[in-house]
Amino acid sequence: MAESADHALALLTELDGTGRVIAGGTDLMLDQRVGNPRVLVDISRLPEWRSIEHRGDRIRVGALCTHNDLATSALLQERAVALVRAAAAVGSPQIRMVATVGGNVVNALPAADTAIALAALGATAEVRSAAGTREVDLLSLYAGVGKSTIDPTREILTGFSFPIPGGSGFKRLARRKALALPVLNVAAAVWMDDGLACSDVRISIGPVAPAPWRALEAEHVLRGSVLTRETISRAAHTAMATAVCRDSIRACSLYRQSMVQVLVRRALLQALEGGCDE
Amino acid sequence: MNRQTAHLRVNGRVYELEVDSGATLLDTLREDLGLTGTKRGCSEGECGACTVLVDGVTVNSCLYPTMKASGHDILTVEGLGTMENLHPLQEAFLRGGAVQCGFCTPGMLLAAKALLDGNPNPTEDEIRLAISGNLCRCTGYAKIVSAVQDAARTMADGGSVGAHVPPLNVVEPVTVRGPAASAGGVGANVPRLEGKAKVLGAARFADDLSFPGMVHGKVLRSPHPHALIRKIDVSRAVALPGVAAVVTAADIPGRNAFGILIKDQPFLAADKVRFVGEAIAAVAAESGEIARRACSLIEVEYELLPAVFDPIEAMTPTAPQLFAKGNISAHRHIERGQVTAVLAQAAVVISETFQTQLVEHAYIEPEAGVAVPDTGGITAHVVSQCVHYHRSDLAAMLGWPVGRVRVVQTTVGGAFGGKIDLSLHPFIVLLAAKTGRPVKMVYTREESITATTKRHPFLIDMTFAADREGTLDAAMTRVIGDTGAYASYGPAVVTRAAATAFGPYHIPHVRVDTYAVHTNNPIAGAMRGFGVPQMATAHEQLMDMLAERVGLSPIEVRRRNGFAPGRALAPTGDIRDGLGYLETLERAAFGLHPSVGGDGADPQVLPLRGERL
Repeated sequence: MAESADHALALLTELDGTGRVIAGGTDLMLDQRVGNPRVLVDISRLPEWRSIEHRGDRIRVGALCTHNDLATSALLQERAVALVRAAAAVGSPQIRMVATVGGNVVNALPAADTAIALAALGATAEVRSAAGTREVDLLSLYAGVGKSTIDPTREILTGFSFPIPGGSGFKRLARRKALALPVLNVAAAVWMDDGLACSDVRISIGPVAPAPWRALEAEHVLRGSVLTRETISRAAHTAMATAVCRDSIRACSLYRQSMVQVLVRRALLQALEGGCDE
Repeated sequence: MNRQTAHLRVNGRVYELEVDSGATLLDTLREDLGLTGTKRGCSEGECGACTVLVDGVTVNSCLYPTMKASGHDILTVEGLGTMENLHPLQEAFLRGGAVQCGFCTPGMLLAAKALLDGNPNPTEDEIRLAISGNLCRCTGYAKIVSAVQDAARTMADGGSVGAHVPPLNVVEPVTVRGPAASAGGVGANVPRLEGKAKVLGAARFADDLSFPGMVHGKVLRSPHPHALIRKIDVSRAVALPGVAAVVTAADIPGRNAFGILIKDQPFLAADKVRFVGEAIAAVAAESGEIARRACSLIEVEYELLPAVFDPIEAMTPTAPQLFAKGNISAHRHIERGQVTAVLAQAAVVISETFQTQLVEHAYIEPEAGVAVPDTGGITAHVVSQCVHYHRSDLAAMLGWPVGRVRVVQTTVGGAFGGKIDLSLHPFIVLLAAKTGRPVKMVYTREESITATTKRHPFLIDMTFAADREGTLDAAMTRVIGDTGAYASYGPAVVTRAAATAFGPYHIPHVRVDTYAVHTNNPIAGAMRGFGVPQMATAHEQLMDMLAERVGLSPIEVRRRNGFAPGRALAPTGDIRDGLGYLETLERAAFGLHPSVGGDGADPQVLPLRGERL
């Protein structure tokens, strides 16, 4: 049990590759059972990495925030509802009380709901090691399905930061309301210029690629234009046309692809209309 | 793995104990502190049976490292109430019939407690969200939700428990024959006999049992769907320190075959495996971990055989044959009247093919049991739906007179037909006979799904023939049930399917053929309804199609064909008693649409097209 950030890093250095960071542990405890168990350095009680703060025109989210922290945050509810909705959709109440947003990203699974939301919000990630702190683009953390570029035996993901959007939305399709991985999840965030036009927009979709997949061409349809139902529908169609979905045990590619259009439209409408559902 | 000292405050009591740094809170509570009220259902955070509160917050203790809980307050079901003084939630669960098998109950109670602590007056949606991480396979959740509402009301009234709160969910007694019974009689709402133990977490399920000198068992299973066994070498497993015994087919002194209807399944495969997960050897060791390692040291030489997974293909003579007698385990044929002639002249003929899927019972409690040797015999405390059958096959395995084997059914955490068959029973009994020590075994969730029976997937071809008014005259069906590698209850399932092939409809001319066919798929056996629900998917859809074809409402077409006194010819013959179909239909119709049900409804005015039953 690490007592401070420095203590955690010192323990990892001392263990020299044989230790491993554990936060919530809801995924890691399963891996521990099948693989070679390693010494766990528990960072979950460090308060400095568990806060949600407004910093200028950005919001910083500590990596140790639980999904429940995000789902019940008044600041996020007001400024980044996509992240609230994404966090509330994960697992079950028991999982959300324990599992952290940092873990959802480091575990690097393509369906991870909060990672999809953070990708749409244009988040950067802070990674600490004994050598210092680096700040990187969220998407650069993905090295493949279930593989992160973060080395959990030496590095600690400590937080995320993203520019506050004008609006954001998150939509998810799953076979049950709880304890179900998504068939598809879509997050969208829009930033407006002084007029009514959209100065920037990000749409991210999972699980269609090893990392959260950005619907760049759909974003291009919207960027610089006034967002109307018509432009949104066009962007949603473009997202569907450009997404390459896969077959899996949860859904076939054709169904996923058709639903991309629906979910992208709904996520964008939610981003515009501040959480109202279609 | 290193040992660390944990300081736990559990139900107000402080414990200091040494644990593995990777130990889960569930292991610590159950194994070290003996608090077995917290249940192990899936070990991966899916089922919620292991839910406890850490500092008032629900967590899955199966995924929660004990060291993370060190220094914190833990509440388990044992800390919720006592025999003399139940918590209002426990009272409400008992009173409202929210407890059935009781295996999900401790976790469910704690999830509800966490909710009510923060929100004394929750809405139904809030309750459903709060228990969304807790699976229940018995109740359908409705009674649990209303029990939580009931408890909330009780607690709002000052926490007093009791008699002044009217019981919820009291179904108005249905008059069957004679007047409704008064209090205490038929139809009265009585508390479940063992309910109090279940809400307290005191009910003893098989995994909660422990005996002095007990060793732990594990099974080695086939990774192949169809293969001949050339050689089994257990020498390295036997040599592993901590191993008490290793058994294979060669160690079975009696009959190496079991099955409730047909004795076609070996306890341990001797010369051939027929599905992935078939048991080949079993090990007893000082710990489950050693037993698992020993299993991995057993060397089995296989000669792979072509496998068959499609029952239609399995019925052809060129398909891989699972048994010398062929792949057809059972065939039921019923024929009455002149089906072919009637079909040829019928005004309306509807013919369709339906396919139903394999279903896992997924009881929240995995299979578990302990076999305890005693003077001259063995007593198995084990999950069971069928102790007498289990006893006779186990005694035959040992070559013992049946009196030397006792089977004691423990409290069972859901079964739904899946615990009628023998599962781990023979392994623990055989290992206990060999070691002379109590042997315990608990299936993992994966093992429970891989190795035990399923609902039969059916392929159903069915034809209805009727006149223009929608009155059925003839019907025929051919049903192929995939019974998997061994017979289990397959022959009984296809018998029931044949007897109830066309549901509660009067049909004078019928032809029925149902088959249970072996494939290298998992074994299909008993599951709720025994083949009857599969048939309902076919005959009810055909009834809707018939209604559409002749321009009647789905309800009216059923009125015209449903069993009634003097008009109740099933495939097996005339049914003369217990004909409640039409009354049920009217009540269901009334529930759907108060304007269409009941006596005197006019079929012409009320088409109800597109509305399925």
